[in-house]
Amino acid sequence: MNPDHIVHIFRMVLNTPEVDASSDFFELGGDSLLATRVLSAIARDFGTELLFEEFLDDPTPDGLFARIAAVAP
Amino acid sequence: MNRGGMRVVVVGAGLAGLTAAAELAAVGAEVTVLEARERVGGRMHGIPVSASVVADGGAAYLGVRHTELLAMVREHGLGLASTVMEGDSTFLVSDVRTTTATRVPPLDAVALGDLFDRLEELVAQVRADAPWESPRAEYLDQLTAAQWLADEVKHPDARTFFPLFIGEMMAADPAAISVLHMAFYLRSGGGIRYLNAFEGGAQQWRIDGGAHLLCEALADRLGERVRLGHPVSAIDQDADEVVVHCVSSADGRRFEYRADQVVVAIPPLLAQRIEFRPALSAPRATAATGRGCAVKVHLSYPAPIWREQGLSGWSVSAHGPLLSTVDDSPPDESTGVLTGFVTGAAASAFSALSSDEQRDAALAHTSRLFPQLPPPTQCSVTDWPAEMYSRGCYAALFGPGDWLRLGPTLTEPHGRVHWAGTETSLEFFGLMEGAIRSGQRVATELIYGAEPATVTGKVMAQ
Repeated sequence: MNPDHIVHIFRMVLNTPEVDASSDFFELGGDSLLATRVLSAIARDFGTELLFEEFLDDPTPDGLFARIAAVAP
Repeated sequence: MNRGGMRVVVVGAGLAGLTAAAELAAVGAEVTVLEARERVGGRMHGIPVSASVVADGGAAYLGVRHTELLAMVREHGLGLASTVMEGDSTFLVSDVRTTTATRVPPLDAVALGDLFDRLEELVAQVRADAPWESPRAEYLDQLTAAQWLADEVKHPDARTFFPLFIGEMMAADPAAISVLHMAFYLRSGGGIRYLNAFEGGAQQWRIDGGAHLLCEALADRLGERVRLGHPVSAIDQDADEVVVHCVSSADGRRFEYRADQVVVAIPPLLAQRIEFRPALSAPRATAATGRGCAVKVHLSYPAPIWREQGLSGWSVSAHGPLLSTVDDSPPDESTGVLTGFVTGAAASAFSALSSDEQRDAALAHTSRLFPQLPPPTQCSVTDWPAEMYSRGCYAALFGPGDWLRLGPTLTEPHGRVHWAGTETSLEFFGLMEGAIRSGQRVATELIYGAEPATVTGKVMAQ
């Protein structure tokens, strides 16, 4: 798994192709409801449950991937 | 097309009926609007919350997709008030009060995301143009939303959140609606995200001064065509005409209105109570059809003082009565208005209390949510399930079996009787936008579509 997969999740949840690894979820029009759907997709696909506060910390595919890498063994 | 001379009686002076009446009057039809109450507006109703400010007791919010409503607001010279909120949200979950910068309650975010994923799947499956023809429609129509939750969703936080969400979105107790109705309603309103959002969603604005002003403006144009205090009890028809029977609520006097066509623009539970002769071949509501369960509580303050404390006034509580609150203060901040929403099962319980008990419960809840606030200067309760001429708000709740039974004939005329009302609109069902679209649809039906036999006869004879 890599940040590209989170790019894919962003695209799916936000329904837009305009996503790269450094895109900010909220600048792309995401809101808190959709953010929970990113977290559920990450939990399914990476096996890592992030907190909403962790999501807010750096809401980009790169940032979330770094967070998952830090949490996962 | 000129429809001069066509006599139309419209039953119900809510937004749907007034829209239809205005369009029909504009093409020369002879229109009479019969309204049971002593006011127009139906589920759009202004509540005075201070000497100068009126809040929305019923329908309140709109967004950019509500194109017909926005056009009508503009046409009547009314303004919009933004609902944009700044400041922290307040949550009361498991008796613990928290405030945060976001709108996500202190519940497991992954579990909430899973719940929204599951709901999205259902919404994507339902056919917006004919929910009763959706894949698995029969199954989804029989299953209640509460049963679906019990079977499909295990996380306790998702189970806590679900009734709050369905209460806020639809004013429904999940035990009272079918999964098909839930999925349809969410789809009809523009999808979960649109329906849920303030900014960029279905709650982007309020009508400045109150949504009822729109109905009053429409009624002003119609002038003496609108008769208040005229509850309709029966509608007779034969080959030549329709006779609409009313009993005046003021003095018990009986009136009859004769027409070529009738538009019934009232909620389905009320339409079902009218005596039709000959009888309806398809019902408008069944024993499973429920009242929209919403009670609105307006709390008045000298100003929106919670803003000074860094709070938005928006809150969610896991337990009633005030499952959510919204800052509905006027743009000039001349009064602070917090609107408390009592919805779903909590509304049924709240509606059964005396007015003193309702007030005490609302004030006790407010002081737990916002302990820094002084007591409100006024507390007004608008109890929609108890309103005899609305029987609920936001909209009728389609229970198990209802969509397959009622859906296919939702707009099918019963002879000279035609149907309007937000519950007859597959677009924006339950919202003001749906009401307007239903009024436009029925007006078009009368003007172009359903030409009465007598008129045809006259034309043939000429």
